[in-house]
Amino acid sequence: MTTRNLLEVTNLSVKFPLLKRGLLSKQVGEFTAVDQVSFEVQRGSVLGIVGESGSGKTTLVRAILRAIEPSSGSVLFQGNDGAVDLCQLTHKQLMPLRTQMQMIFQDPFASLNPRMKVADIIAEPLVIHHPEQHLQHRQQVIKMLERVGLEADSLHRFPHAFSGGQRQRIGIARALILNPSLVICDEAVSALDVSVQAQVLNLLADLQEEMNLTYIFVAHDLNVVHHFCERALVMYRGAVVESGPVDQIFTSPQHDYTKLLLSAIPSLDPDIKLAPLDRNSLDLG
Amino acid sequence: MSDHPLYEDLSTRRLTWLRFKRHKLALMSGGFLIFIYLIAIFCEFFAPYEPNWRNPKAIFAPPQEFHFFEANGNFQFRPFVYGYTLRINPETWVREYTEDTSQKHPIYFFSKGQKYQFWNLFTARHHFITTAKGQYLHIFGTDKLGRDIFSRIVYGARISLSLGLIGVVLTLVLGVLIGGLAGYLGGRTDNLIQRLIEVLQSIPTLPLWMALSAAVPVHWSPLGVYFSIIVILSFIQWTGLARVVRGRFLALREEDFVIAARLLGASQLRIITRHLLPSFMSHIITTATLAIPGMILAETALSFLGVGLRAPVVSWGVLLQQAQNFQVIVLTPWLLIPGIFVILVVIAFNLLGDGLRDAADPYGGHQL
Repeated sequence: MTTRNLLEVTNLSVKFPLLKRGLLSKQVGEFTAVDQVSFEVQRGSVLGIVGESGSGKTTLVRAILRAIEPSSGSVLFQGNDGAVDLCQLTHKQLMPLRTQMQMIFQDPFASLNPRMKVADIIAEPLVIHHPEQHLQHRQQVIKMLERVGLEADSLHRFPHAFSGGQRQRIGIARALILNPSLVICDEAVSALDVSVQAQVLNLLADLQEEMNLTYIFVAHDLNVVHHFCERALVMYRGAVVESGPVDQIFTSPQHDYTKLLLSAIPSLDPDIKLAPLDRNSLDLG
Repeated sequence: MSDHPLYEDLSTRRLTWLRFKRHKLALMSGGFLIFIYLIAIFCEFFAPYEPNWRNPKAIFAPPQEFHFFEANGNFQFRPFVYGYTLRINPETWVREYTEDTSQKHPIYFFSKGQKYQFWNLFTARHHFITTAKGQYLHIFGTDKLGRDIFSRIVYGARISLSLGLIGVVLTLVLGVLIGGLAGYLGGRTDNLIQRLIEVLQSIPTLPLWMALSAAVPVHWSPLGVYFSIIVILSFIQWTGLARVVRGRFLALREEDFVIAARLLGASQLRIITRHLLPSFMSHIITTATLAIPGMILAETALSFLGVGLRAPVVSWGVLLQQAQNFQVIVLTPWLLIPGIFVILVVIAFNLLGDGLRDAADPYGGHQL
């Protein structure tokens, strides 16, 4: 593994057993949610993953972080202490590595515990990984709040007091407080209003520069990926059908599915009618 | 504005309390229950007589009326009751009691009466309500042995109400433990526990309770019987709670904020105690509150049928045993008074539980 790559995913598959319902359930088959996916992410870059709902984007990124157990494949992560295969580690061994990779969730309402105050939510990673420095936690949390553009008086409020955009900022603060190197944004802006999306995207871009972050950016909005990412994967039915620099994917798509996705982007000019390609006439494989 | 903190700044507990306060009936029920539990705790003090003390002058005597005016119309600030004159009806052989206005029994509050052992700790003589020596006071009448019904209800409250509470605690422990295990481990364990619950729930409860309590040895001490009844009642009741807990566990396990905690590297213990339990604690408290009346009713039913608690233990169910025949309804309806208390307590618990459930529901409307 070259040290330029922060993450190298090779032939990663996630399969779920299909069970027959009944008194004694038995396995009657398998559903392949992620099929032999390989890619690499360079340090400091932004990789986009696009695809329609159900194409396996979320399952893929969750399997990378071992929130879902992958069935086969390897995930080489260039940690602070050298490269490790995340798939080979036990959950206990993964614990210290969790400080270096974090996730920002899609739904800013469901991803924050409604019964904890903002201060406790953002401080939780610190409490888990650096309980001995508890005196500095407050300072760090306030600094982080400032960095994501929230007022310091937010500390004693509960998540329900915030708007979607503000909550997403809280989620970002929680993900970044441990100073991770890899941040996975799982549809981090798709639940937000368009104007708020832009603010949050700009915030993510600023933070990337400041903290030298590497993003994996999952989205279904192609415009956002075009704007934000350098390289992209196009996923369809669990498999990667196309990958490469974003500009190339946008200007000369190779796979029919990519063409279909691109044809479904509405134009800013209201006179141009949206004319998505006909699914049935394409060779989607 | 400065007096009222922003709605946004309130903690869940405080929000719950604010919502609960709007529920006037639940609030009243809570007050009533606190009141009646206080009476149960200090029953020796509140009851004028020992539960097994007999007044030979009053057998099957009706409730005495409180008076403020004497027969000649003189007002008296201290309330009093009249003694009974007994006449046995020569045709029906029914005891007929009438007030004897020549026997005035003034009622004293917080003064000395019958001696009693308070909590088996020390001897005391002060009662909340009592009469002078040689006189008597039967607010709810007496039973066939001349025992004071009011005193027996007050003593019975201690047994019946504590049985409900202890039983629910036991139910909670069993339900949360087994249900949590099923929900957390899932898979085969879950399947096994679910089937066990189905089997237990499909057995008709009353015959099962009767069979189990009939197996309690007769020579056991009243305390032993008391605890075995609690165990028998909880043995069936935990299943409902286990189902609820399992469902909540399964649902919460997949919540984003729980996954977020896992990805932060939180330990299992931390996830359970910091993220899962607080999210359904309110739910458990509500379910438990709604389960207490079931316990009390079950004990009453068992004791009424004669397979629950047995005399000399005094519980509301034991008291109702005397009201098993229809003569009672015609001749001595005051023996049914313990039933009124059962009804009141059950309704109060249900209203309180409803109020708690509405208050704990974070989606129950935001208007305060």
